[in-house]
Amino acid sequence: MPTVFNWQINREMEYPYEAALPERQFSAVFDLNKCIGCQTCTFSCKGGWTSGRGQEYMFWNNVETKPYGFYPMAWDARLLDMLGPQTWDGDTYTGKTIFEAAPPGRAALGFLPDEEDWAYPNIGEDEPNGIVSDGAYLQIPHPVWHFYLPRICNHCQFPACLAACPRKAIYKRPEDGIVLVDQQRCRGYRECMRACPYKKIMYNPVTRVSEKCIGCFPRVENGQQTLCVANCIGRIRMNGWIHTPDTADPENPVDFLVHVRKVALPLYPQFGLQMNIYYIPPVHVPPRYLRQMLGPGVERAIETYRQVHDDPDLLGVLVLSGATDRWINKFLVRDGQAIGFDESGAEIVRVPLKEPAFIRAFHDAERGVFRHNIT
Amino acid sequence: MRTAGSMRIRVVAIAALIALVLTVRGHTLSAQQPQYVVGYSANPVPTDPLSTAWDSVPAIEVPLIPQAGVTPALLTPSIASVTVQAIHDDAHIAFRMVWADPTRDVEAGRPDVFRDAAAIQFPVAAGVPSICMGAAGQISNIWHWKADWQEDIDAGFQDITRLYPHFFKDYYPFVEGEPPYSFPDDFSQPDARAYSPGWAVGNALSQPMREWPIENLIASGFGTLTTHEQAAIEGRGVWENGTWSVVFIRELTPAAADLATFQEAGELATAFAVWNGSNEEVGARKQLSSFVTFGIEAPPVTPDEPVGEAPASRDTTLIVVLALLGAFVVAITLATIVVGRNAPPAPRDGGTGA
Ligand code: SF4
Ligand code: SF4
Repeated sequence: MPTVFNWQINREMEYPYEAALPERQFSAVFDLNKCIGCQTCTFSCKGGWTSGRGQEYMFWNNVETKPYGFYPMAWDARLLDMLGPQTWDGDTYTGKTIFEAAPPGRAALGFLPDEEDWAYPNIGEDEPNGIVSDGAYLQIPHPVWHFYLPRICNHCQFPACLAACPRKAIYKRPEDGIVLVDQQRCRGYRECMRACPYKKIMYNPVTRVSEKCIGCFPRVENGQQTLCVANCIGRIRMNGWIHTPDTADPENPVDFLVHVRKVALPLYPQFGLQMNIYYIPPVHVPPRYLRQMLGPGVERAIETYRQVHDDPDLLGVLVLSGATDRWINKFLVRDGQAIGFDESGAEIVRVPLKEPAFIRAFHDAERGVFRHNIT
Repeated sequence: MRTAGSMRIRVVAIAALIALVLTVRGHTLSAQQPQYVVGYSANPVPTDPLSTAWDSVPAIEVPLIPQAGVTPALLTPSIASVTVQAIHDDAHIAFRMVWADPTRDVEAGRPDVFRDAAAIQFPVAAGVPSICMGAAGQISNIWHWKADWQEDIDAGFQDITRLYPHFFKDYYPFVEGEPPYSFPDDFSQPDARAYSPGWAVGNALSQPMREWPIENLIASGFGTLTTHEQAAIEGRGVWENGTWSVVFIRELTPAAADLATFQEAGELATAFAVWNGSNEEVGARKQLSSFVTFGIEAPPVTPDEPVGEAPASRDTTLIVVLALLGAFVVAITLATIVVGRNAPPAPRDGGTGA
């Protein structure tokens, strides 16, 4: 089996195919500190792509409450359990990837979810990690916690879905790295569904073939960000082209967050897929939990993120997030403003680093009332 | 890319495995002696898988081995053999496959449910055995019967409302009719159909309206299976008392050059495969046979053909000689089958690794 270099685990690993980097790679950063669990992303995707017969149960974009939310049921907990100890030596993963842990006769370690596992897309919603005891009051750090984890297909560099398909019906587009299921070639074997650790392949019971997130490729081809990104209420999301660490462009917003400031991290990098959706860890969640989910860079990322008030460039990228539905290729922070540019270098958006604020008096003498909200 | 080297090793491994099975069964792929001669019948070939007409057709029991040469492999087989019969009426050829399967898996809608299925593979050029699913430049013709297609035909398309009886959804884009709607009728406008991508792009698996439960396919190596546009394979499968009986029927003359040719003089290296849905068998995870060679019995010469000057007694002698020869061939074939039956079973674990 060929070996490929996966920078997210900082080592070579086995993969059924030679590495073939696309010309550019579809990517996004989601800031988990800002997600409010409103599911607007979920429904913008559903309305756009999965409102057909047989697609009722599909959420190519879903938002689950961690630690007890899953779609499908226990998707990550089950695989983490099957994979065994996942050890790191510094930034190098020393455990097994799902390809290295593949059982005999399979391309990757995985499982096929049961039908019922798909039936509770919002199970665990708003459940905290522990019991809220009598007399509990707000403390910092919070005595209990939860956070929302929005998920789409990661358009992985080393997709397990593609590796497992004996028909080569799944392909990664050389022009943008988007991973697609060829609806003509798929024969509904569901090997991809079994192999994808993120469980982002869904089987259509009416057409009897598999479907998945298409990365909104018709929008991407027209310089637009995806539906889930453009419609995000919390403005937590930003699309971009990601590079490898050695070719990172500091003016590219996604490269800047992932490679320069290193505040955005891959989800379960130990699975070995070099996935392409990155998460800014929620600062209120214990790093011990987050390390398992986002790898060894968690503490460093939280520390950098907490210093954002002294980091205009970082703040600039974060305020550009959700400020336009156009795809931002480069950014620049100047004179207290963050500016986004498209592929041709034309300015498409300009946002102040600090919104103007007006502070009103607590007591309104004219009306003789006290104000609850003074900004 | 899967390296050519590793693919070659796999192909060689499978070839070795098949050779082993053939040796175990005491057969070799001889050019002279088919393992089964498809007899001629003056009556039309039986279309009903349970017809008593099949009782008088010779049967051959074909051992099955789990596919373990390529990933994904079947490591826990569930079906050990299939009984095969074949007959022709000079216009059509019919095959019947009969195998024991205690579970009737006729659905392929729920994400964790797989169909029962069966297939026959022929080389397109007679007499040239191809390894498993053919090889580059060596096309195989595959007839694939699917239990869910059969159920769609027998009991109506297994729409989501059949899978989930209390299902209700009030709106679909461009749909016609009233909720909960009926598929495909209320979804036949092109704009509505676009929301069923597999159907819209013409994937054979995704077509809600079918006449026959058998897909006609060609392949030239692993992963190359492609639906053939022409020539329906007719047939039917029936499950009764823990046994599937499936009949496949096609015109003797192929509708296209890249389909199986049944020549009277020739001999076909044919393979069989069976899938048990309950055992999550799908695609490459199947039980398959080694090659069984088939010959085709010529229909008798029609009486109105010009007869020479030869005296009647010479004709009679010729017929007696031919009959004796025929009996000898049948005896040899039967003996071969008996040897095959009594031979030790085929290795169960495949032994090739994946
Ligand atoms: S997340 Fe899953 S479906 Fe998406 S590319 Fe990766 S392996 Fe494939
Ligand atoms: S729309 Fe944005 S804020 Fe709302 S759930 Fe989705 S990711 Fe979170």
